[in-house]
Amino acid sequence: MAFFKVNENCNGCLACVQNCPAGALNYFDQEDSRKILHNMSLCARCGHCWRVCPQDAIEFKVLLTGRFDLVTTLDLVHCKVCGEPIYTASLGATVSNNTQTIEPLCPDHKGSEPVNVWKKLAPKRTSQPKESSNPERVPIGDDV
Amino acid sequence: MIVGEHKPIEEIIESVKEYNNVLVVGCQTCVAVSLTGGDRAARLMTEALSHAFKDRKTLHIFENSMLERQCEKDWIEPFFDLPEGVEAILSLACGAGVQTMADVFKGIPVLPGLNTTFIGALDAAGVLNEKCVGCGDCLLGLTGGICPIARCAKRLLNGPCGGSSNGKCEISISLGRDVECAWHLIVERLKELDKLDNYEKISETKNWAPGGAGGPRQLVHPGETPF
Repeated sequence: MAFFKVNENCNGCLACVQNCPAGALNYFDQEDSRKILHNMSLCARCGHCWRVCPQDAIEFKVLLTGRFDLVTTLDLVHCKVCGEPIYTASLGATVSNNTQTIEPLCPDHKGSEPVNVWKKLAPKRTSQPKESSNPERVPIGDDV
Repeated sequence: MIVGEHKPIEEIIESVKEYNNVLVVGCQTCVAVSLTGGDRAARLMTEALSHAFKDRKTLHIFENSMLERQCEKDWIEPFFDLPEGVEAILSLACGAGVQTMADVFKGIPVLPGLNTTFIGALDAAGVLNEKCVGCGDCLLGLTGGICPIARCAKRLLNGPCGGSSNGKCEISISLGRDVECAWHLIVERLKELDKLDNYEKISETKNWAPGGAGGPRQLVHPGETPF
């Protein structure tokens, strides 16, 4: 999908090409056809082409409301207690190299002690306390 | 670019409190880069106002809407759908944007969310410094690309003054941060450029009329010259 859309009203007059202050529009004539080009990297989104077009051929709203492009995809690390995605494997490796190995724990479970994490991971026991006596600590067992 | 700072939230709350349905409108150009008027700033402002009015009996609805530039009148109407029932618009644009919006939406109060502060440059991430006052008669060609009007506290045309010490301006003390002496920078730059003879040229009294002292300024393009 192009961000710059020209509708069927365009008659190839080149008003847009000649008046683009950023040089983002260009054209070439090839055999029996005229081709008009737009370069999004050069475009200043100033709307001047839309203003000067005598044919109302430029659908400028398309450019203003463009979609997001997927730029990259990375593997995720999940919290080992609740499974919430927390950071990418690549970031984890970078931080671990620079400091120390980091536990894959989300903010909710970061404060919990390893034994509490283990309790969560382990099969539930009926003898687990219902509430933590220390309000600073993250609740464990059935209350997590 | 034009730099704007958020008005104190208390001032904004005071200005919008009489309206039940306020639309927060960001501007995606200059003030977005100065981190005060873009999409994110509009969302944060909406959240802050929603929070501030959450306990009121009157219903306040704050909706986000974005404009690429609020300072282009012919751009606003075709691409901007004003939600029904909006009683006031809180504009996170510079003063030019607020006035253009007020001109377009004549029946609705347009309130400023920013204080437009200066024309500046981004010197580091999140650090903008004033570099131009729009004096209308640029002399950067003589001063090695450093503006003594915008960057000298006294706007001296023939400097430095006696308040320059070790390359710093005396206002550093009162401001609590280091401010470079513009004329010190100019002399050093002219040395690098081997243009110190420029420093010997005495600038005469400046005409401030092109800088706005002669009334509101206007630029009219007689016509476009095709490339």
